[in-house]
Amino acid sequence: MKLESLKAAVLSLLFLGLFLGIWHLATLPKGEAQSAHDEYAKLLGKGTKKSEGFPSLAQMGEAAAAQLKDPLYDRGPNDKGIAIQLGHSLGRVAAGYALAMLFAVPLGFLIGMSPLLHSALNPFIQVLKPISPLAWMPLALYTIKDSSVSGVFVIFICSVWPMLINTAFGVASVRREWLNVARTLEVTPFRKAFAVILPAAAPTILTGMRISIGIAWLVIVAAEMLVGGTGIGYFVWNEWNNLNLTNVIFAILVIGVVGMLLDFAIGRLQKAVTYIE
Amino acid sequence: MSFLQIESLARRYGPTTVFEQVGFTMEKGEFVCIVGHSGCGKTTILNILAGLDAASAGTVVMDNREVAGPSLDRGVVFQGHALMPWLSAMSNIAFAVKSRWPHWNRIQVQTHCQKFIDLVGLTGAEHKKPAELSGGMKQRVGIARAFAIQPKMLLLDEPFGALDALTRGTIQDELLRICEATRQTVFMITHDVDEAILLADKILLMSNGPNACIAEIVENTIAKPRDRHSIHHDEQYYRIRNHLVDFLVNRSKLYQSGELRRPAQPPYVRPGLHGVASARIVNLRH
Amino acid sequence: MHCDCGQHHSQEEHDAGILQASVMRALFPQDRLRRRFLRAVGASTAAAAVSSFFPFGALEALAQAKAKPEKPELKIGFIPITCATPLIMADPLGFYREQGLKVALIKTAGWALIRDKMLNKEHDASHFLSPMPLAISLGLGSAVQPMRVMTVQNVNGQAITLAAKHKDKRDPRQWKGFRFAVPFDYSMHNFLLRYYVAEHGLDPDTDIQIRVTPPPEMVANLRAGNIDGFLGPDPFNQRAVYDEIGFIHVLSKELWDGHPCCAFGISEAFIKENPNTFAALYRAVLTAARMAREAKNRPLIAKVISPPNYLNQPETVVEQVLTGKFADGLGSVKQVPDRADFDPFPWHSMAVWILTQMKRWGYLKGDVGYRQIAEQVFLVTDARKHMAQLEMKAPASSYTRFKVMGKEFDPTQPEKYLASFAIKKAA
Repeated sequence: MKLESLKAAVLSLLFLGLFLGIWHLATLPKGEAQSAHDEYAKLLGKGTKKSEGFPSLAQMGEAAAAQLKDPLYDRGPNDKGIAIQLGHSLGRVAAGYALAMLFAVPLGFLIGMSPLLHSALNPFIQVLKPISPLAWMPLALYTIKDSSVSGVFVIFICSVWPMLINTAFGVASVRREWLNVARTLEVTPFRKAFAVILPAAAPTILTGMRISIGIAWLVIVAAEMLVGGTGIGYFVWNEWNNLNLTNVIFAILVIGVVGMLLDFAIGRLQKAVTYIE
Repeated sequence: MSFLQIESLARRYGPTTVFEQVGFTMEKGEFVCIVGHSGCGKTTILNILAGLDAASAGTVVMDNREVAGPSLDRGVVFQGHALMPWLSAMSNIAFAVKSRWPHWNRIQVQTHCQKFIDLVGLTGAEHKKPAELSGGMKQRVGIARAFAIQPKMLLLDEPFGALDALTRGTIQDELLRICEATRQTVFMITHDVDEAILLADKILLMSNGPNACIAEIVENTIAKPRDRHSIHHDEQYYRIRNHLVDFLVNRSKLYQSGELRRPAQPPYVRPGLHGVASARIVNLRH
Repeated sequence: MHCDCGQHHSQEEHDAGILQASVMRALFPQDRLRRRFLRAVGASTAAAAVSSFFPFGALEALAQAKAKPEKPELKIGFIPITCATPLIMADPLGFYREQGLKVALIKTAGWALIRDKMLNKEHDASHFLSPMPLAISLGLGSAVQPMRVMTVQNVNGQAITLAAKHKDKRDPRQWKGFRFAVPFDYSMHNFLLRYYVAEHGLDPDTDIQIRVTPPPEMVANLRAGNIDGFLGPDPFNQRAVYDEIGFIHVLSKELWDGHPCCAFGISEAFIKENPNTFAALYRAVLTAARMAREAKNRPLIAKVISPPNYLNQPETVVEQVLTGKFADGLGSVKQVPDRADFDPFPWHSMAVWILTQMKRWGYLKGDVGYRQIAEQVFLVTDARKHMAQLEMKAPASSYTRFKVMGKEFDPTQPEKYLASFAIKKAA
């Protein structure tokens, strides 16, 4: 077992090395560095540090170091450190995700247990599910009027579906025989829900939660890019305004890493409730 | 008044009748097996007895009370152990115990559960999850769980069907021992005639479905206590066995067509006894 | 009307009138003599004469300096372009603080959001494109809400930038089928681009494609070849040159020297509820405009508005825009000191011109009360008053004739002007 994970780690590092190698070769400076030999060239920023096109590995490293060195700075509403930006985004995700969970799991339970409710609500779910967050955003802004609350709402409305559908499915798929055991033991409906149905459906519910957290994180970046405010999505947009590709790439990497960590966290939770039949 | 009285029980699904005019009685402490081909409705009868299914006609009265739904008075051991895979063996049994005695504290529950774990011979394995147990062990947990709630009647649905012959033998011994010790009233479905002869006091023979009925009630006249290792040496053994096999192979299908008349009341027979009873079908009543 | 006696625009003006009347009475204690004097010279001349040795302006300012802002914490939205220089620079240079205001400048993701956040009152005042307050007050493209222009933020300061590969296609007649970007429908950029190509015989609705794109994406799109050019705000024209993907074809000042671009706007409701704050904002923004008009201050201004908190652009790009000494993308260094200017006066004639162009291209339909709307939305009286307090020169009349690409515009004859165009949206 340990040998397998070691092999996987080595292979991962090899891939990373290959990728970095290609990046490095692709961004090698073409021709000699141009110095500013006249006023015109100076005005074009020759001879100074100027980001031209895709950044090299060195430039990338520098930018990353600069951002990570001082992650908590605050120089005004439009310029804050990367940790503060992430904090705001994660806060919104937490709020929207929690709301989605509070709504999806109980409703999913009800839908799973009642085929009538399932048939009645299914058309609505199917119609609302595919709507993109970018479509919800303007509607939210118009009715809710507050951009932060709108962001939370959009996260809610986009991440609620996997949790809802999976909970309903998990609950509906609970093995008949366990329910029969509960019946023969005269288990009260409340206890049945918590002691039998919930643990039985938990792996499926958590799969839904894992998918949802991915969507929530994706949505927050899109929402913030659209609406602004403090957050990692806003950071990407602000750096994009400056056509600072290096910082944009750095932000993308940060978004990816945080997304991975979020998924990992829920994955652990999922592992904890998984059982082998 | 018998402990369990079933009268005119029928189960129909639309135009199809699974069985009808099923009636029999059980006394307290009796071990009754029901034998018949697949599809005759044995599991349906068990489900109705358990309260998990409702009859289309007829009554089931246990201990002077009509059976209308599932109850802790009637414990069930399901065909596929039905253990909850996220709970350990101990917790599975504790779940049942807590349902029965919700006001018990943790220590009481644990002590009680341990007793039954020891009873089925699983001491040391109580904290394992079902996935870590063998088929036989899982079934033992199922049995322990059913016994632990000390029900008035135990219903077993082919509990050893999925086990290999060796394990089956061992658990049959356990069951025999427990039932002797606890004087538990048991209703069991089985395909295995040897098992029926070993365990049961009465064996119900069910004809083929649809439109099944209880054709005969065989009284097990082999003396108790019975021992699996030596029972086949008893001279009654093969008489009873042949009778049962003959029924299953030849007679069970004749009731549907009407070649053999469906009895208003299934007759009691004693094929184990020498001579007279094996040749003719005699109607004896208690 | 907004004061007790019902004849003045605001309570301040009413109080000022009382002040003047009291002074008159003091100078001419006998009613009969005073009335004869007033009848002879006229009330306004009398006031002017008296104020030449009696500093009403200062007195009023003194009286009002004591009036505290009702809502000192404000949120002002802006788009990170050099057009917003006065309202941006007022933050790091302390002009808001001076007036007792605590302002948070909120960088906003686009013009639609600028509009929405003003409509839903999330922002108290905002950077606007000059046509926007007119459009919003008329309910074009959004819900109706009375919006007002306090000052024009900047004049000139835009350009038509083309992709580097088009350096031989400088004649607009060669632009058939070109794709252009503008920042918003209700923008001077849209109207000037349409005017420009129409003057060269192209119909902007059929002969070229005009897309609405946020300014940073204009540069990215130009690089990718998705558009052939754009008429956009600085610093993105200069940025295209800096990134060596485009060149500046023509500065907007060469189309109409002194054209308004962006405005500093506020809702009518806010003015009513927070008159002192309104006045304080005026003073802050005008102080900034006054400083921005002087060439010697431009390099400093470029320095303070370039950081990530505001424009987030390389300082040299911003400096080239503000000082007018810039690389044009074709190898020459140009010197155009008034490439961008910050004359805050909200001429009513500008509003009328904008309205004619809106009608020309079908954004506005039916009979238009040009003067009425212009005078409602562009707050000339308030601007004049506050400019006077800060000793800034304001023109006597709010209407003037001007030339757009050589053709004269007479604000008293808007319909005739409109009819004089060969190319316009088919009715």
